[in-house]
Parts: sequence; C-alpha cells; structure tokens
Amino acid sequence: MAEFLGARVAIAPNDPEHLGFLEAAGKGRFVLQRCAECSKLRYPVGNACPFCTALGWEWAEVSGKGTIYSYELVMHPIHPSFRDQVPYPIVLVELDEQRGVPSEHDALRVLSMLVNHEDRPESIEKVAIGLRVEVGFTDLGDGLALPRFHLSDEPPEHTPWSLKG
Amino acid sequence: MTRLKDRYAIVGIGMTEISRNSGRTTRALGVEAVRAAMVDAGLGAGEVDGMLSYHGNDSTSSPTIAGDLGIRLNFYMDCSGGGSSTEALIGIAMGVIEAGMCNVVAIFRAMNGYTEARIGGTGRQAPVFTGASLEAGIHGMNAAGQSFAPSFMRHMYEYGTTSEQVAHVKVAHSKHASNNPRAYYKQRVTVEDVLNSRWITKPLHLLDCCVETDNGVAIIVTSAERARSLRQKPAYIMGVAGRVSKEQPGGYHWSRGPISRVAGYYGAPIVFGQAGIGPEDVDVTGSYDAFTFTTMLQLEAYGFCKEGEGGGYVSSGIIELGGKRPNNTHGGHLCEGYTHGISHVVESVRQLRGQADDYCPNWAAGEHTYDYSEGGCRQVKDAEVTMNLGWAMPATGSALIMHR
Repeated sequence: MAEFLGARVAIAPNDPEHLGFLEAAGKGRFVLQRCAECSKLRYPVGNACPFCTALGWEWAEVSGKGTIYSYELVMHPIHPSFRDQVPYPIVLVELDEQRGVPSEHDALRVLSMLVNHEDRPESIEKVAIGLRVEVGFTDLGDGLALPRFHLSDEPPEHTPWSLKG
Repeated sequence: MTRLKDRYAIVGIGMTEISRNSGRTTRALGVEAVRAAMVDAGLGAGEVDGMLSYHGNDSTSSPTIAGDLGIRLNFYMDCSGGGSSTEALIGIAMGVIEAGMCNVVAIFRAMNGYTEARIGGTGRQAPVFTGASLEAGIHGMNAAGQSFAPSFMRHMYEYGTTSEQVAHVKVAHSKHASNNPRAYYKQRVTVEDVLNSRWITKPLHLLDCCVETDNGVAIIVTSAERARSLRQKPAYIMGVAGRVSKEQPGGYHWSRGPISRVAGYYGAPIVFGQAGIGPEDVDVTGSYDAFTFTTMLQLEAYGFCKEGEGGGYVSSGIIELGGKRPNNTHGGHLCEGYTHGISHVVESVRQLRGQADDYCPNWAAGEHTYDYSEGGCRQVKDAEVTMNLGWAMPATGSALIMHR
C-alpha cells in the first residue's frame, strides 16, 4: 500500500491520470500531459487541454528543472503528517518548459515541498525566489513516487529574493 | 447592463451571538439568524417564500430552517461554497425573483466554525492523499493560509510590499472592532503586535489570520417595490458580481499569472459597469479579510489603488474609521468573527441605514457621536455607497455595490 508520512496515498481506480503521473515518477521520470492537438503541456493533471479543449493527450517527459517563482515557510503544522516536518518550505517552481505560454505571465508552475538531498525539508534559510531547482523522487511504495524539488547547483536565475525577518 | 440597478434591495439583517462555544446546532443558529432578519424587516413567515444558503458540508439546509419557522418555500437552494458566496447568492436571489419564481428571499450562513468544522480541518484526522491533494496537500499545503501564501509572497517580491504595511489592515479592523459590542476580539492592536505574533506560515503571522467562530447570519432580499412598504430603510443594490474567476480556478491557479492579481480584476468591470460608478464614489468598503493580505489584494484588484500599491493604500489611514474610505467597520473576520463574508454585507446595510450598532446610546435612532476612540462610535458619517468584495481564494471572488 502506498503511504506517505503516515497517511495513505489512495489513487482512485477511475483516476488513471494521477496514477500515471506517480507511476512515471516511480520509474524516475517527471512527466506532464501533452495535448494531442496543440501540443501544449499542462499541470496539474486535467481532463482536457485548458488551451484548446482537446481531450486527447499523452505523457511527455520534461527536464524537471526550474526556478523558484514564489514560496512560503510553514511554521505551524495543520495536519498530523506534517507535525515533525516543520519548519518546511513550500515552493512554486516555474518549469523551464513553456514559460510565457499562452501569455506573458503564464507558465507551468509546480508546487512542491523543497527538500534537501536526504529527502527532508530544506533549511528555511536557504529558500529564495530566483533560485534554480531540480526534481527528485520520493518513494511512496507500490511502484509510485512523488516528484519533489531540491536546490540545484546552477547559479540563480536572477538576484535571489527572500522575506527578511 | 444596468437593467436591474436599484430594482432590488436588502431589507432585513439578522445575526446570532458570535462565540467559540455556541453549544447549539447550525440548525438553531440558522433559525435564530433568519428569524432575526425577518423581525428586522417586519416580515412574517407567510411573506418569505425563498431561501438560499451556502456551506462546506457543515450546515443545515434551507428546508429544515424554513420548516422550523413555518415558512412554505416557492424556491430554495443550498450550495457549496465559502467567502465568495454571499454576493453571488444575492445576484441569484435577484434573478429568481425577476424570473417570477418567488418574491422574498432569505439568505443565511450558519456555522460552528470553531467547535465543529474548522477551516483546514481539526488536525485530529490523518489526511488521505488522493486526487487534487496529490498536487498540494501531499506537499504540506493543507489550509487556506498555506494555499494563499505564495500569492501574498509574490506580491511582496514584485512590489516591495512589507509585513508592516499589511499589518495596518489588522490594526484598522481591530480599531473598528473595539467599537463593536458583538466582536469576538475587541482589543486594539498595533503594527508591532502583529509583527511580534508568532509565524503561522511566512509571510503570515498569527495576527494576519482571521478568527474562527460559531455563528449564524442572515439577510433578506426583495424587490425595491416591496422594500418600500417594509420596516427598514432599504439598502438598494446597484451592482453585483458573483464568483468571478481567473483562468484555471479549480484550486490550482498558479500556472496563470500574475499570481498576485486576484479575481476581482475581472469582477470590477462587471460590478462597476452595472452600478455606473467607480471606486472613487464608494464611501465604505467591506473587503474580505480571511487574512490581512486578502483585503489588500482585493482593494487593489477593484481599483481602489493601482496594482502593486496596495501596501501603501492599506497603511495610509484611508481604510480606518475617520479615513477617506474605511474598510470592515465591524472589525471583519480578523476581529469580529468568521462568517464567510455575510457579516460584511450586514455591516454595509447597517452603515447605509446609519445604524451601526456601536456604543453610541441611540445608535438605533441613527444618532452617532462620530467619535472613533475606543469604546465609541463606528458609524461612517453620511455613508451613501458601500461596496463588498468577497473572496473564496485568489482565483475566485464576488462583489456587491449598494446605496442608501
């Protein structure tokens, strides 16, 4: 049974989209849906293309590289699963693929807990907008894994910014 | 576009006590609130024939409330939703009356928001990660503040908005609550109090977050024609926008930007277009305050200041009683209590009637001191036009403009 932080990971039998996403991650692949008509990628998983309404799609592997677009630092846990994780950073990662599509301020932005190389929450002092990140895979059991991002060795995309105090 | 302007009105308002220990069911809270609104309007059970409510599977449905009060309904609907609901349901009420389906509609929200169903959960049950929670919850994003925070942080990055500036929203609302006998938190706070309160999720301090309470609130909507023969001065509806959304609003809206621009950006032309006025004509705002940032982003989206200048606007004194355009004169969700927005509309009605129920001895007669010091008045002098800005999340919002 797939499990994460003491909670069940339950993919509904009629939800092949989420299953496929986590199965691919289980094989070390970070995949997004690509529209069969207009070829645009989308995230999160959905049942039609939000850019052209087409229903057909296929999985497409992407680089898993991106830049921190925004973030927060969770200091007070709500759900029991995260009680021993605080403080932890949640980042909004703007992927390298398809930036500025379909218009200037749009991009593929993926939420993730920012983790370190031990797969634990990254130190909150290290988080900043503009830093480069890369995807990794956290095992969930049952052949499934969760893509989560960590800081990469690449230089920041722009002068890093973080909330002082 | 202005076809229904001034043709409908809010004629009754009702509220229960605000507490953290109601000791009653949502049924009891809903019944008391609806009845209070009926008494306020001077309407008997035989004169209310429509009912609307909103809930998060945490309330009691309209037929039960109506049944308890001996009301036979010609129309009712209970819909799922939170802070963007009140204004949207007011628009629906106007529509069903216009369609000839019923004549007088009570709208209520009843919730034990502290003792039963807390926003973000009680923390007692372990979550199961499934469906959409595989994109947010599993990464540790499990509550409203956590899910809005990236939008708030991006605004700080893009525009240099500071925690100090935004703290002024709590300062203003606490000042207003100190003149509201019903408010759960009546104590005035300072910017330092906000900044010194513990972090919940950066950039949100504890005092940037609203209170959770148990309460029931109701309003009654009917035609302007019917309104004129009722007990209270009608609050006439000039314009309404309901659940206006950004692209991809289904919870995961971050791929469409700018993420610090909220849905009100799209609601503004609708609601101002109907009303035939602009932000400069509004005397009092009721901008949803689940968080301090929420108020700021909405005031910005509706054009009360330019995009990016919200921090300056909310810290300028404009939004305080005595300022040019006070916001949430009842203390809002940050201080008065949490009702998913409907109490903000109730406060607008009170302001338009000149009957803010403050500490002025004869407030009910419309007599106010306009002395806004602690324990005093909270009536805005000559309030003619109010505007409510509802919020479900950055990607969904509603709005309402009324005049006296």
